[in-house]
Amino acid sequence: MKALIFSDNYDMAKQIMGRAMQDSQFTLMTTESNEDLLYFGAEKVIFLKGQPVYSCIGETLISEFKKGYDFILISSTTIGRDVAAYVSSKLNLDYMPEVFNYRFDGNKLITKRFSLGGKVVLEEESDAKILTVTPGVGEGIKSERKSLSEELKIPDGPIKVLAINPKQSQGVDIEKAEVIVSVGRGLGKKEGLALIEQLAKKVKGEIAGSRPVCLDYHWLSEERQVGYSGKKVRPKLYIAIGISGQIQHIAGMRDSKTVIAINKDKNAPIFQECDLGLVADLYKAVPKLIEML
Amino acid sequence: MPYNIIVLIKQIPDLELIKINKDTGAPILEGVPYRFENLSKNAVEAAVRLKEKYGGKVTAVMFGNEKGTQVMKEAYAMGVDDGYIITGYTESNPRFTAKVLANKIKQIPHDIIILGNQSADSMSGMLASFLATQLNYPLLSNALKIEINDKTAIASEGAEKFVADETAPLPCVISVTQETNEPRFPPVMMIMKAGQKKINIEPLNLPVESYSKVLSKMAPKSERKRIIFEDMDKGLPEIVKVIKEVVK
Repeated sequence: MKALIFSDNYDMAKQIMGRAMQDSQFTLMTTESNEDLLYFGAEKVIFLKGQPVYSCIGETLISEFKKGYDFILISSTTIGRDVAAYVSSKLNLDYMPEVFNYRFDGNKLITKRFSLGGKVVLEEESDAKILTVTPGVGEGIKSERKSLSEELKIPDGPIKVLAINPKQSQGVDIEKAEVIVSVGRGLGKKEGLALIEQLAKKVKGEIAGSRPVCLDYHWLSEERQVGYSGKKVRPKLYIAIGISGQIQHIAGMRDSKTVIAINKDKNAPIFQECDLGLVADLYKAVPKLIEML
Repeated sequence: MPYNIIVLIKQIPDLELIKINKDTGAPILEGVPYRFENLSKNAVEAAVRLKEKYGGKVTAVMFGNEKGTQVMKEAYAMGVDDGYIITGYTESNPRFTAKVLANKIKQIPHDIIILGNQSADSMSGMLASFLATQLNYPLLSNALKIEINDKTAIASEGAEKFVADETAPLPCVISVTQETNEPRFPPVMMIMKAGQKKINIEPLNLPVESYSKVLSKMAPKSERKRIIFEDMDKGLPEIVKVIKEVVK
């Protein structure tokens, strides 16, 4: 099998290469410029230069694909998803979105992805040749051998980029955190965050939040939102405080190693998705917990 | 200058109300009500704001089923002028949905097509690009801000790490995100008026295209230990123990 990989994200590029290495030879195309990517087993790494417009990136992928590849793997990012649909349309090849696991069975492809907001896993058989894959699809494995390196200019198209500004970020990347203290609607008021911050400091964790906390109440910034529509996290320890555990949230933290939940409603669904749970008022339990740590 | 705006909306089953059959692991979809998909509301809001700013008309198009009339009425209450429901939706296949929508869009005068960038059920996030590619229009994706200047759309694309200001000639497709705006709650008067308004319902006139064979569709097994304490004095020491194992 020969795979063409596109990713505009360094970590995802490594993960996809790690997965592809199991059964394929592969080329990576990326808008990232980190030369580390030359040491993850690709035959060739093509560094794309120029404006990151999906249709123009799509055209470069199509020209490369026509040189002789079996399938295309694209990281599921805002640009990746647009590129994937563009390429699938233009090449008239079948596609499969949001894949977290795939294998070949003869000339069929067997994939797994979440559906119904993360409630169920769909296992499907298809003729898909273009896949968008989600974080966690594989793990990057360092290789001794250095990939061939090429540079390619992305062609211009009808969309003009006037300016590119890095996103104003507070510099947090909860996807990489080993310990996360996450809060939900149960916090009740923004001032409650002071208490959560103390706990986060004690456990050397990052603070995260559910959708209502980040998007509806704006108590935390959107980059701290864990969920199906937010960040997918996989820390060693996830402490869920005042989080009811709706599927939208569970889908973002399901891969955490150990989950602790504190909630005053003993029927909250989070207690079905935790290893250790405490039914208690967080304003009573958390100060005690901080004291005991 | 007034614009003809098409907004694409979607209904989804109310995900939080879907129960799982404990014996088989299969989802129970019978009797689950449909609701307005979140990002479709952001799309309607964006479309109506453009109409309010520049003038023009907003037409909503949905590929769904007869139950979609409730969602269409909500869209009317938010300021949509006219609405079409194409019935016959059976499964998520963004490439086919794009084909169905593109066919309808070609019958309606338009300068701008707005839709949500991903929907909360399968999150494939590919409809906008499929649609733009099939219509041969440019796509301004994940637009945080939208402005129209004569025959050009200007949008800020919010990618994961950057925001890019981009322009594209009209007609174009624009996808919006949950951060683009806060959808309005329509006043009661608008809701009442919306109930009276005509909804155009048309059956699907294309053969359904499927792109996969489903081998299984089940809730993932949760391996969690689920040790729950209701007594704080017993629970907290256990929590401390677990935390200290991880945080050294």
